Amino acid sequence: MENILSNLQQFWQFTGFANCNGQYLIMIFFGLLFLYLGIKKEWEPMLLVPIGFGILIGNIPLFQGLKVSVYEEGSVLNILYQGVKQGFYPPLIFLGIGAMTDFSALISNPKLLLIGAAAQFGIFGAYAISLAFGFDPAQAGAIGIIGGADGPTAIFLSSRLAPDMMGAIAVSAYSYMALVPVIQPPIMRLLTTKKERLIRMKPPRPVSPVEKKLFPIIGFLLTAFIVPSGIPLLGMLFFGNLIKESGVTKRLANTASGPLIDVVTILIGLTVGASTQADQFLQWRSVWIFIIGACSFVIATFTGVLFVKIFNLFLKEGNKINPLIGNAGVSAVPDAARVSNNVGREYDPSNFLLTHAMGPNVAGVIGSAVAAGMLLGFLG
Amino acid sequence: MKRIKILLTVVFLTVSAAAMAQSQGQMRLNEYLIINVSDYQDDFGQHSSWFELFNASYGTVDIGGCFLTDDPDNLKKYQIPGGDIQTQIKPRQHVLFWADNQPFRGTFHVNFDLENASEIIFVKGDGKTIVDRIPVNHELGENVSYGRLEDGIGSFNGDGEGWSVLERTSPSTNNALVDKAAKPDKMKAIDPHGFILALTAMTVVFTALIILYLLFKLIGIINIRAGKKKSAAAQATTVEKSTYGEIPAETYAAIATALHLYLVAEEAHDDESFVVTLNPVDRTYTPWSTHIQGFRQTPTVIKKK
Repeated sequence: MENILSNLQQFWQFTGFANCNGQYLIMIFFGLLFLYLGIKKEWEPMLLVPIGFGILIGNIPLFQGLKVSVYEEGSVLNILYQGVKQGFYPPLIFLGIGAMTDFSALISNPKLLLIGAAAQFGIFGAYAISLAFGFDPAQAGAIGIIGGADGPTAIFLSSRLAPDMMGAIAVSAYSYMALVPVIQPPIMRLLTTKKERLIRMKPPRPVSPVEKKLFPIIGFLLTAFIVPSGIPLLGMLFFGNLIKESGVTKRLANTASGPLIDVVTILIGLTVGASTQADQFLQWRSVWIFIIGACSFVIATFTGVLFVKIFNLFLKEGNKINPLIGNAGVSAVPDAARVSNNVGREYDPSNFLLTHAMGPNVAGVIGSAVAAGMLLGFLG
Repeated sequence: MKRIKILLTVVFLTVSAAAMAQSQGQMRLNEYLIINVSDYQDDFGQHSSWFELFNASYGTVDIGGCFLTDDPDNLKKYQIPGGDIQTQIKPRQHVLFWADNQPFRGTFHVNFDLENASEIIFVKGDGKTIVDRIPVNHELGENVSYGRLEDGIGSFNGDGEGWSVLERTSPSTNNALVDKAAKPDKMKAIDPHGFILALTAMTVVFTALIILYLLFKLIGIINIRAGKKKSAAAQATTVEKSTYGEIPAETYAAIATALHLYLVAEEAHDDESFVVTLNPVDRTYTPWSTHIQGFRQTPTVIKKK
């Protein structure tokens, strides 16, 4: 009897209940919140559900040595986490994004590319704010990339510049991407007049298949020559798009845009979530990362919309751009473009801005990858 | 199939050999010291002549099987043993060899000494290709080394360009004093508020996307012009090609119009080529297209009596 009691007592020490403290409960609460937002509210469910469940996995209180924690070398989760740590999941996600993205809107109206560039001010605004709050330049660069509104880019850059802050940065980036419909509309309304919101843009011209094939090749060569450090992201993005547009590699495109990206999304979401172990995550600097991350989204939306307003001063009547698509330059494909469309339709239900907004939206992906390459070049 | 396998194997081996040879070609003689009185000592406590190799590449290089020599007429004088983990030189790292004429003391002790050598030569594993060579400067004093001013930089044909007497010996480490400050620290000193980096990076982002914009603006103009020419040429030949086989042209026109209206109304496509091609369906048999592969078998219902 005594032995049985002793065994049960020993077993109790192994359980999560015995090792639990308030920090773990807070993180479990966040995990449940993510699951609620993803499942019930359907905010970016593809991301929030795996991340939310990952947070639960990573925050089951346990004592080290069981070889199950994401930070314990050799554990299954640790092996899966290597894709995040070594940075090979993000380029694979970019491959899938490339294979899913139709750049027609951008090719038919290439001036929309510039909006994608303007919105990258969010990254560098957040960089400057982070420096002011005492983060060192590498950490500031990793925090700044949240403003790129691109989860894979954020993970890729933070895994190189500030690996210890990657969990907080990734969760922050994905959270704000999910919150784009909440963050952006007030800023868009604040910066635009009613007349501007009613601007109707010319329908995009038909794009030939040759142009679609040339875009990824020229796009890659140009951007990679300018920022070679962005090759992993840019190369995979444009390669993915080429296999889609070439017309002869349909099977590869289907795999990249279907099973491959799904598998990697599951792994990246789950392991990023699991990396938010309470002892690693619940620190004051994580709070600052979330605050600065929010600032970066606000700045990016501001600069995107303002840039369109300024750009319109130089455009002829009839060629003007509706400033409501300026927000889409932040990337966050395709949610930011949907926000442009929804806000536009509030003022003119027959004005569909989605096609136009997809231009700056995908330009934002290219812009943020170039910006990430720049940060890596200067700070890596 | 067998041929393809053999071909693939040959291609793989050739590429691997080329890649290996290529990386061995990035090894550089980097520094040497002839009269070692009180400088670096080996594992046996001896002060011997030494020379250093530097991996100038950004990949690990296995120098096992390569040769070191002091005799241009005998390029295979000392073969670096293969299979030793220590001969795998990490990117931008150094490896030190003791020129003590005591090869039995280990992988890194060669069978010649520098006091009697006229030059040091590093040869690839093929025993023929000289990767780097440097004449031995016998005017060097005690504990004075001769090396590249910067690791791996300078000529490798023996003319000594980029080499000089060094201020201090630096066995197994950088010849030049490297600025220890990492990039972020430098950036912090130059740009404490982040404005310079922001402006630089945004200039680059805008430049890249402006060039892309200009290129695709140009391609768009060319494409529109080509499209106009094509449609003009198509209109000119419409009358001549109005029938194909026995089907009247009106049928094609009706099909094309119906398809176009369907696709526009359904918003199924955003881009139409306005060309409809009707080809006979080719139903070539393959095992993948049989019904056996594609359908589940219908379950048999057995009625109980």
